[in-house]
Amino acid sequence: MTARVVTRQVLTHLALAVGGVVMLAPFAIMLWTAFVPERLVFGGAGLGDLTLENFRIAVRESDWLRAYRSSVIVAAVTFASQLLTCLPAGYVLARHRFRGRSLALGVMFGCLIVPGMVIAIPSYVMISRVGLLDTIAALVWPGLTSAFGIFLFRQFILTLPQSIFDAARMDRVGEFGMVWRVVLPNVKPAIAAFGIFSVVSSWNDLFWASVVLQSSANATVPFAITQFADQEAGVRYGAQMAAATLAVAPLIVAFLLAQRQFVRGINLNVAD
Amino acid sequence: MTLRIRQPRAGLLLVPAYVLLALTVVAPVLVVIVLSLFDYDPLLGTADFVALDNFGRVLSSDEFGRALVNTAIYLILTVPVTLTASMLVALGIHSLSWGGTLWRNVYFLPVASTLAAMAVAWRWLFYGGSGVVDATVGRVLGVEDWLHSTTLALPAVAVVGTWENVGFAVVMFLAGLSAVPPQLLEAARLDGAGAWSRFWHVTWPALGPAVVFTLIITTRNALKVFDQVRVMTEGGPVNSSTTLSYLLWERGIRFLDVGGGSVITLVLLALILGVTAIQLGTVGLRWERAGTR
Repeated sequence: MTARVVTRQVLTHLALAVGGVVMLAPFAIMLWTAFVPERLVFGGAGLGDLTLENFRIAVRESDWLRAYRSSVIVAAVTFASQLLTCLPAGYVLARHRFRGRSLALGVMFGCLIVPGMVIAIPSYVMISRVGLLDTIAALVWPGLTSAFGIFLFRQFILTLPQSIFDAARMDRVGEFGMVWRVVLPNVKPAIAAFGIFSVVSSWNDLFWASVVLQSSANATVPFAITQFADQEAGVRYGAQMAAATLAVAPLIVAFLLAQRQFVRGINLNVAD
Repeated sequence: MTLRIRQPRAGLLLVPAYVLLALTVVAPVLVVIVLSLFDYDPLLGTADFVALDNFGRVLSSDEFGRALVNTAIYLILTVPVTLTASMLVALGIHSLSWGGTLWRNVYFLPVASTLAAMAVAWRWLFYGGSGVVDATVGRVLGVEDWLHSTTLALPAVAVVGTWENVGFAVVMFLAGLSAVPPQLLEAARLDGAGAWSRFWHVTWPALGPAVVFTLIITTRNALKVFDQVRVMTEGGPVNSSTTLSYLLWERGIRFLDVGGGSVITLVLLALILGVTAIQLGTVGLRWERAGTR
């Protein structure tokens, strides 16, 4: 490498570092404030002052274990239901010709371009009529299936060679077995990417939770942190940052453990 | 509806997904149109047909006009900055011989984190007077206490939206850049084309689809902005940071004005579909033509 190339590489690293500081500063300041005693959050704290007191307050004032549990249940039920419904539908749309196929594809594309916010008020009315507001059932309802999931699996199944389906048919594998014993093992990368996309979307969702939740009984993580921040507005910034740290920690840890898969999965984000 | 399929059982495999799509997407979209024509009280369960009264009431209100303008400002503050910054970052990362993945992950970290929680952290950064923003950028620009200012609350929310979306666009552009044929760049270089010329005539046209796609998604995200508005400003002070998506929730859910909220929903739906169609029809088509020149 010539000296000019090296210089340019170093300058590029420096420029990216400047932007990187802006990207990471909110995390750094959140963490620092979370570990600093309340009286020193406005400055003057040294390494010797660090304390867990803010986390004690955050845990005492809000039930984080329950929030994690709600979020895990919602994310798990949502993903399981999406997989169970989208994979068979994606398979049929990719591998069968039937009357009504173009209608079915049209409905799928139509649902794909409708943003999730549009269904909020009518779904709120329907859920309140059946008396299910403020429940886990209400939280999972709009995500039970996914037009995007059907689309993604269909695209992936279209690229599989016809021979594996022919071979299975010779072995008298039925349609049901075709989905779960032939398609499933062949679309694992798509399932992994869609799984991360699905779990991250439902884990981070504040909007729908704000529509159907009314108390902290089934609060998900984003809803719990918002409630906590509302109560503590203007006071106890240390405790707020400790709570925010507890709220972001699970996904950040997951991201650091599986960076490549996360980047692929989240960037599927073509629909809500 | 009867589906004729070679294997009779295959049609059954479509049923769960499509029944759920009908109940969770198709029916609500139709119901929201009906609700916009009624004065519906969710507590009493009463509904009176009021024809277009909800539309007249909401569309002429100051609050709605303000939200429409704020949404446009938010769009202008976030989308161009996000795309430009991400393009520069992606070009930088792409040109590195090592360490690119580290930088990609740094810029992607906000995308992977829970926005509601990070908005709480940002509210602290924007704390008036002694917060980090006022102590640094605020000193330079001579402004302070963004979240309690009617002119700066919306820009503050836009800063967070941009911070959150850059990483997504960077990854999209990196994927686009890796698809640019290297032999074309090499040929251009041998022909004596400078760095800018190579970018403009080779890289940029090849990036077309990635740019159009990212433009559409970031625009949609901007039109749907909710979390940071809810956490940082609650639309205030005096509606100065209320966007359409936030107003939808505040009117329709918090104040239980179902008819009014339904009208806002329809406006937002029309806006999102309209803007996407316009972007596809203008930028998208131009690129298709450019690709064949």
